[in-house]
Amino acid sequence: MVSSWYMLIPVLFPAAAGIAVAAGRPSSAVRKMLVSCSLGINCLLLIPVLLSGELEFRLFSLSRDLPVFLKADDTGKFFAALMSFVWFVVGIYSFEYMAHERHLDRYYACYLMTSGVLTALCLSGSIITFYMFYEMMALLTVPLVVHTMEKDAVAAGIKYLIYSILGASLALLGIFLLSGYVTSFSFTPKGVLNPETAGEGRNTVLIAAMMLIVGFGTKAGMFPLHGWLPTAHPVAPAPASAVLSGIITKTGVLGVFRVVYELIGAETLRGTWVQMAFLGLTIFTVFSGSLLAYREKLLKKRLAYSSVSQVSYVLFGLATLTPLGVVGALLHVCAHSLIKDTLFMSAGAIIHQTGKTRVEELNGIGKQMPKVMICFTVVSLGLVGIPPCLGFVSKWYLAQGSLAAAGVPQWLTWLGPAVLLISALLTAGYLLSPAIHGFFPPKDLPAEDLTRREPGAVMLVPMACFMLLSVLLGIFPGGLIRLFSNIAAAIL
Amino acid sequence: MLYLLLLPLMAAFVVRALPDRWRLPGFIGTLCTVFAGTLAICFHPVSLSLPGICGLGLSFHADGFRGLYAVLCAFMWLVTGLLTPEYFRHDRQLPRYLFFNLVTLAATLGVFYADDLFSTLVCFEVMSLASYVWVIQEEEPQAMRAGQTYLAVAVIGGLTTLMGLFLLWKNLGTLRYDELQAAAVAFAGPRSTISWASWLTLFGFAAKAGLFPIHIWLPKAHPVAPAPASAILSGMLTKTGVLGMAVVALRINHGNVDFANALLVLGAVTMFLGAVLGLFSVNLKRTLACSSVSQIGFIVCGLSLTLLLGHHGTIAAYGTVLHMVNHSLCKLCLFLCAGTVFMNLEELDLNKIRGFGKGKPLLHIVFLAGALSIACIPPLGAGFNSKSLLHEGILEYMEVLEEAGSGAWGWYKAFEILFLISGGLTVAYMTKLYICLFREEGPASGKPSGRKYATRLSAAALILSCAALPLLGLFGRELMSPLAARSMSFFGPEEKEIFYFTWENLKGALISIGIGAAVYLVVVRCFLMRRENGRKVYVNRWPAWLDLEEAVYRPVLKWLPILLGKADAFVMGIPDSKAVTRWIPHGIGRITVFVMRLPESFAVLRAVPAGITAVSRFVCEIPERLASLMHRSLFRKAKPKKQVPVGNAFTYRLGCFLNRCTSLLNRTVWRGRPLRQDFEYVLARRRQEAAEEQERIMSSVSYGFLLMLIGIVIVVVVLLAHRT
Repeated sequence: MVSSWYMLIPVLFPAAAGIAVAAGRPSSAVRKMLVSCSLGINCLLLIPVLLSGELEFRLFSLSRDLPVFLKADDTGKFFAALMSFVWFVVGIYSFEYMAHERHLDRYYACYLMTSGVLTALCLSGSIITFYMFYEMMALLTVPLVVHTMEKDAVAAGIKYLIYSILGASLALLGIFLLSGYVTSFSFTPKGVLNPETAGEGRNTVLIAAMMLIVGFGTKAGMFPLHGWLPTAHPVAPAPASAVLSGIITKTGVLGVFRVVYELIGAETLRGTWVQMAFLGLTIFTVFSGSLLAYREKLLKKRLAYSSVSQVSYVLFGLATLTPLGVVGALLHVCAHSLIKDTLFMSAGAIIHQTGKTRVEELNGIGKQMPKVMICFTVVSLGLVGIPPCLGFVSKWYLAQGSLAAAGVPQWLTWLGPAVLLISALLTAGYLLSPAIHGFFPPKDLPAEDLTRREPGAVMLVPMACFMLLSVLLGIFPGGLIRLFSNIAAAIL
Repeated sequence: MLYLLLLPLMAAFVVRALPDRWRLPGFIGTLCTVFAGTLAICFHPVSLSLPGICGLGLSFHADGFRGLYAVLCAFMWLVTGLLTPEYFRHDRQLPRYLFFNLVTLAATLGVFYADDLFSTLVCFEVMSLASYVWVIQEEEPQAMRAGQTYLAVAVIGGLTTLMGLFLLWKNLGTLRYDELQAAAVAFAGPRSTISWASWLTLFGFAAKAGLFPIHIWLPKAHPVAPAPASAILSGMLTKTGVLGMAVVALRINHGNVDFANALLVLGAVTMFLGAVLGLFSVNLKRTLACSSVSQIGFIVCGLSLTLLLGHHGTIAAYGTVLHMVNHSLCKLCLFLCAGTVFMNLEELDLNKIRGFGKGKPLLHIVFLAGALSIACIPPLGAGFNSKSLLHEGILEYMEVLEEAGSGAWGWYKAFEILFLISGGLTVAYMTKLYICLFREEGPASGKPSGRKYATRLSAAALILSCAALPLLGLFGRELMSPLAARSMSFFGPEEKEIFYFTWENLKGALISIGIGAAVYLVVVRCFLMRRENGRKVYVNRWPAWLDLEEAVYRPVLKWLPILLGKADAFVMGIPDSKAVTRWIPHGIGRITVFVMRLPESFAVLRAVPAGITAVSRFVCEIPERLASLMHRSLFRKAKPKKQVPVGNAFTYRLGCFLNRCTSLLNRTVWRGRPLRQDFEYVLARRRQEAAEEQERIMSSVSYGFLLMLIGIVIVVVVLLAHRT
């Protein structure tokens, strides 16, 4: 439909808009206009890419056989579409939330530029390209974390940076190790291992695979490098936490996806210690994340732990190496992005309107801001996996994928679903209890805690939009499932 | 059918949006429409399949049993709906109640119409969560606590069932009701897989039905929920659980005797325990709730007997279906009565509502119809018919075992006795309620009421709720058999002609009534009542600690996450802990610094040169030491013992001169202390020693080296000089 250079447009356009914001220092109204329009237009600009077939565009070459190029395959298109859309909606939400903050030029400049980088990241054609944009994204999101410039925010930003770089360098080490055994570094379904050399270097390949998985797993919050999430989320502004949790973690997922299925190949990993370790780590993270969220009293930190757990659901699906598991994982990417963003936006709305951050302060919040809490409750149910929300559908596929996994011990195949459900139970415990206490507070609550404090439409509409999407996609998941089944069929 | 399912759902939003005045008519209108719709579908069964919804797609089908129960469901909703306006006349949260009530209606109809376990589960979950909101409608602390229990049981049950469905779908490849049985028979893998899957699936349904040991929500939730909600919870939502259990038992575990026996044991425990709890309770609605637990026990026993008897289980299957229908209707009627009491008195404690029914014939008749039916008193009690069939089922299975010569016969005899005792206990607690409400004098009886105790609409609801029961009881063959026969396509066995009023059945009923009367007179009147201020009052003698929920479930659920969480927080914290983030980098830093500083450290700067010096000195001294050693050993000169040293001329003269000086001084200055020394001798010896030393050095290697060095220097100088 379009020629391949067109892919640069959705990458460069928001980046240019970001630079314009940074350089122009526009007034508040102009800035809002500029940001919302460019995010919206960016979504529209992406549509031709989504509709056309596989595009490939070469940017430049690092050396003779290390080209840096963009390629629009189905996976990349899905991630790019999801990320741009969520970025746009959360961007709208942030106008009201950030209205009273300072340094907005810096914030929105980084926000816009990250959007472009994310599109490039999703459309990356090789691991080298991916790695380049991955680091760029990590650097560009640090200002979002440290936005308030308070002491703990800066500390959290540094921690975020250290973890990002640690993970990325681990991945880079993996890439180096791998370099002797691959034919190229471009993402190709079923992997690019060189059959002649990979056989004798099997152990090196496996070690490299583990390094890449753990390295990219850092962004996805997988144990043992999950530590940045619960630190960075509570201090970042709510819209930033929303996208960090909903979108930035998914870049780690994309990295693991690319490595496992399009670089090394599922067949190489099936039944090896790498798959066991990967499954074990994800199952452990799923359980522990929920349990820690259940015990956490700070709402945003609770949501951060919840993300640790939920993103590992996705990784768990990828670790099963089955088509059903992959479908479930990608469904859960979609579900978790929508749901967790809504949850963080609700938490942000609560902070913005009432200044409450702790769970036990939330008694009666449902009477104060019923619309926000309805969004919160519905998406919480979705995250628990109550039908007919999308979270239920994804859980179904994840569990079926796990039960169908070949090459792993029988007990591990059913331990996965069991842990998913125990985690779902804990999710119900830590998300529904604030909702219930919010809607049905004790009778002796002071009257000031019952006055209406609903936020404006700019905040409410994005939340409602995501909430409806998460339910509607759950009722009618057919299109998504078809798309993901095609992806899974190509790579397995 | 799609319209029928969506209608209440849409209506829920419409009713919420309507102005106050139109809300209740809209609500009741919806219920009437739904009732008409279910009736129509019951007589003209239809199927509906919605592929792709929620992933696997939903399918619905309304054949005999499901169509029948959907009609009953809509009927109950309608009747309770009629009571709603009066019951909630002071409640500000009515719109919320109506909204969730209609959502639950849609979901419950979905559960009954569902044609596969996936659709069942989807509707079941929606139903469980939507109904939570009306359990806590009153928002009292007690209600909140009960709601917590209800929600926890619903969520845990739902998730466990989901796990069961994962396994079933994986192993059987289908969840459709009509394909399950064949798939389970054809399954080639180990039976234990299917067994696990069945029990997991069963768990959620059993939790909803109120089977022991997960019956805990029923006695908690019913007393605090509004009466119309209690009626539906008890009459309908428990039956959705039974429906799911029936599918699991009859379709997946067809012919599985172990499964049936285990279910029978659980059913028997539930049946007896519920009845005992009911007997001890002193709260009207709690008694009814415990009664529900007990009756569900009867139904589950019937279910397992059907399973045990297989294709010959017609009587047991009839009994199960009919007891379900009866129990739904009885509980509708009794809870509406309880609701009427509560609307007027705002009390449910038996001591405070005593005598309320006096002089209220309508309430009296309605309550009596329900009580007779649930206590199974022929001929007006409809429950008699169904419970007799269940009893017959037991006898039938005992016959089968006897023919087979099985030793398990005695166990079933014991079960039969337990069955009859439970029946007796049912009679006893219903008598307790009846006498308390309508026979005894009490605080409520003399109350002058300024207005009628029920509006016309509520009265209509009461009449409607009880109308069917005596008819069903009297005309068992004409009315009940067709109902049950319609259901057999769902339950399995063939249809058969049934006789209700046989001597055998009447005997069973009479035994139960006898036990009931005895228990009432002995236990209730003597043990469960106490004389206070000259009046007998009801007391709760059930020990407070004997509460499964408070004693086991809540502590476990409270402490387990804490304990696990502690361990887990530790493990999860390791990568982030001080040990890792501080001490490991610190340690690595220390080591690096140490290694990096090593070249310029004290050891290297001082000790190494010193060491090298020492070593080289030692090496250099080796020849000298050797030489010295040789001097002292091999080349030692034999010294003359008293050799007089030989001086030279200079020493001789100096010595003589010094001797003279000494003698001069000895005589003058040093008189007191004269110096006696022969300087001539001393000087001669010194000279000799110096000469020897000189000789030794001259002969040493070092000296040779020194000379060589000098020689080299001279050579170099000469060479250099030559070069220029």
